[in-house]
Amino acid sequence: MSESRNAYIDAFPAEAKVVRAAFYSSFLALALGGVFGIIQTLHRTDVFRFIDSTDYYTVLTAHGVFLVISFTIFFLVGIFTWAITTSLDRSVKDIRFTWGWYSLMAIGITLTGVAILAGFTDSIDMSADVLFTFYAPLQGHPLFYIGLVLFIVGTWLAGADWFRTWWAWKQENPDERIPLPTFMVLTTMLMWYIATLGVAASVLLFLLPWSLGLIETVNPLLTRTLFWFFGHPIVYFWLMPAYMMWYIMLPKVSGGKLFSDPLARVVFVLFLILSVPTGIHHQYLDPGIAEGFKFIAMTNTMFLLLPSLLTAFTVVASMEHGARQRGGEGYFGWLKALPWRDPVFTGMALAGLMFAAAGFSGMINAGMNINYLVHNTFWVVGHFHLTVGTAVALTFMAVTYWFLPQVTGKALWNRSVALGQVVLWFLGMTFMSNAMHRGGLLGIPRRTAEPQYDGFEFEASVGSVAELDAQIALGGILLTLSLVLFFANVIGTALNGRSDTLPDNSYAETLSGPEDAPKVLDNLKLWTIIAIILVIFAYTFPLLSIIDRGGLFGPDINPFPVSIETIPMLAMALEGYTTAAVASAGEFAQATLLGVIR
Amino acid sequence: MNIHTYEKLWLIAAMVLIVGFIATITYGSVALGITMVGDQEDTIEPRELSEDDRFGEPRVEQVGENEYEAYVVARTFMFQPDPIEIPENSEVTFYVTARDVIHSFSVAGTNINTMAIPGEIATMTAEFDEPGEYGIVCNEYCGSGHHNMEGELHVLPEDEFDLTELSVEADDEVALEDDDEVTLEIAVENGQLEDLETTIEAEIGDETFTEDVTVEGDSTYETTVSVDAADLGEGDHDWSVTVDDYEESGTVTVVDQLEDDGGDDDE
Repeated sequence: MSESRNAYIDAFPAEAKVVRAAFYSSFLALALGGVFGIIQTLHRTDVFRFIDSTDYYTVLTAHGVFLVISFTIFFLVGIFTWAITTSLDRSVKDIRFTWGWYSLMAIGITLTGVAILAGFTDSIDMSADVLFTFYAPLQGHPLFYIGLVLFIVGTWLAGADWFRTWWAWKQENPDERIPLPTFMVLTTMLMWYIATLGVAASVLLFLLPWSLGLIETVNPLLTRTLFWFFGHPIVYFWLMPAYMMWYIMLPKVSGGKLFSDPLARVVFVLFLILSVPTGIHHQYLDPGIAEGFKFIAMTNTMFLLLPSLLTAFTVVASMEHGARQRGGEGYFGWLKALPWRDPVFTGMALAGLMFAAAGFSGMINAGMNINYLVHNTFWVVGHFHLTVGTAVALTFMAVTYWFLPQVTGKALWNRSVALGQVVLWFLGMTFMSNAMHRGGLLGIPRRTAEPQYDGFEFEASVGSVAELDAQIALGGILLTLSLVLFFANVIGTALNGRSDTLPDNSYAETLSGPEDAPKVLDNLKLWTIIAIILVIFAYTFPLLSIIDRGGLFGPDINPFPVSIETIPMLAMALEGYTTAAVASAGEFAQATLLGVIR
Repeated sequence: MNIHTYEKLWLIAAMVLIVGFIATITYGSVALGITMVGDQEDTIEPRELSEDDRFGEPRVEQVGENEYEAYVVARTFMFQPDPIEIPENSEVTFYVTARDVIHSFSVAGTNINTMAIPGEIATMTAEFDEPGEYGIVCNEYCGSGHHNMEGELHVLPEDEFDLTELSVEADDEVALEDDDEVTLEIAVENGQLEDLETTIEAEIGDETFTEDVTVEGDSTYETTVSVDAADLGEGDHDWSVTVDDYEESGTVTVVDQLEDDGGDDDE
């Protein structure tokens, strides 16, 4: 019987175990992140508060780190390993090495997770309530940074594993084009190597020694800029596996072929080149960075729209091709011929639809001037719950329904539940993200436990803040239900018996294949060099200027131990306030004379 | 490379869109002169803010006919000054810095929004045409009390706005034996550029004083009122000084002889 089956686990049983382990790690992070998500949603909207508001930030840090570091990246290493082995049709060079990087990532994120979760209890003198962005002078426990370093080194080794597998294949197939999935993996990893230099420098040179007490101070603007050097491209690191799925899985499940292999390569090359020299667009509002540097980042960001717009075309065109193969007709009538009862298809299609909306809110974020209206407001939270929270997360969940049987050899527990799950996610996120975007326009800030203030209220021109809160809470509840259904399927599938009727392990064929793509597209060295040149161009002068202005180690300033209780901190602030008031009263006359400085 | 015609059209449309976005932003900053937060200001030592000319006392200052400057310090978990008061029909340049960690200074529902980074000073200019009240929030996570960090920006009708400051110095105790006087040293500071016409009303015990004064722009008027301690008699006497809506008050005690005279030098 088993000879007739040709699933991934049959061809690559050893790799399937690693992929499965990566998926389960990813799902564990998703479960934790989801629990923290609903706690946060209900707390922020004041629907149900059972934690102290000071603990909200521990919840928020855990929600952010578990979802955008562990959930996304563990899933990525899973499908990238699948993509390399499947498309090159060969095993990894050494499975022990593969388990090695997986273990390093798992140990790393566990250490980081422990440092974060310890923030809930006062009995351990450890916390890292620094959020996903860990801006100094907010300081986390050294374990937080050490864990992150190990995790990222794990991803570097994973990349090395894929590169050397490809290299071995290339020796045997010198004249062949790089298969598209492998091409996507390699370009994404090249981008990741460049991007992670920023966070490596920030953590290893500054934040870790500082948290260990080896250096006294850091330059907050410098570490923040190094963070965004990494912090923007990481969003493409989340997104690229989803893009890969849209290019190589969605056409197949639609019943057709990928529209264009060459343009898919162009898209991934553009992401390699343009992802990193854009990070300063997160810092449009930062004093200490000249407007010109921000302008360069803005221009690069705008051009980064191009690969996403191209993707929109290719994905829709491939879906239409599939629908017409299935007998669909008419200008829009073909839409009805798509396999809407297939959760893999429907989940990815809905994720793509949401990503279109996210693209538009992203264009607004990217606009240097209009960004002032929305920067750090709830709008931004709405934006990335559409991108990473839907385009990426929903795609991952949808393809899980295809991948799980492939890596477990067991049939999916329940397809109807799976279909309900992806639709529920779409609905929940529609409510939640739309209300978040609108709230942001009123000026409601992101990342705050209680966006309810004593001195003023946010005024909605349409609807009310209460209505927005209700939508967010409703959305959060639907998303949580959706997660419950997802885990029911994951667990149900794991408990299923072995199935003999699994689909073959394969990905989409192309209408216009690699023979149409110029060979230069496969010249990874060239694109890497161009990417590095653009990074040097975009970052050298801003970084030198920041160091020149504020010093390598910044001004004399205390780390901020956010773990200490609010009351002594308020007392400290009050004390500071009175001292400053008394000290400054005497200088007032002098100050008024000298005050007019432009 | 083989590209489908529709895909070529789409590609061209996408490029037009992108170039269009860049063009509008360039137009905004070059032709309309919208200045954004940049590196216009030198760095500052966050630990020495209290000795700084501008941030030692966070405040609003008038620098031109309808032009004002606001020096704002963001710190865990408050803004100084609070509230920020400015008049309608004014152009205000905000200078914002942070004392401890990274904060933001964000006027809710407007595009007045900047990061406040320790060591750096953000500047931005905005026009306020009408009176109103705005909330100020910190939208950058700054620690466990982040959600308590708020301030207010009051745009006042012109007739309700002033930059007047009244200060009074007075003794707590005055001795009868030295034939001393109870003296109030009054200083009225006018932070605005135009003259301030006002009346100083002072009261010590039952004695009252009234003085019509003109305080020149950006200067301080000083005056002294006094009453013989003997006229007041032994005991506690309340005093107060009023200028427009400002009032200072206190109590002076007239005693027979100061306990801690400290003066053996009566020849």
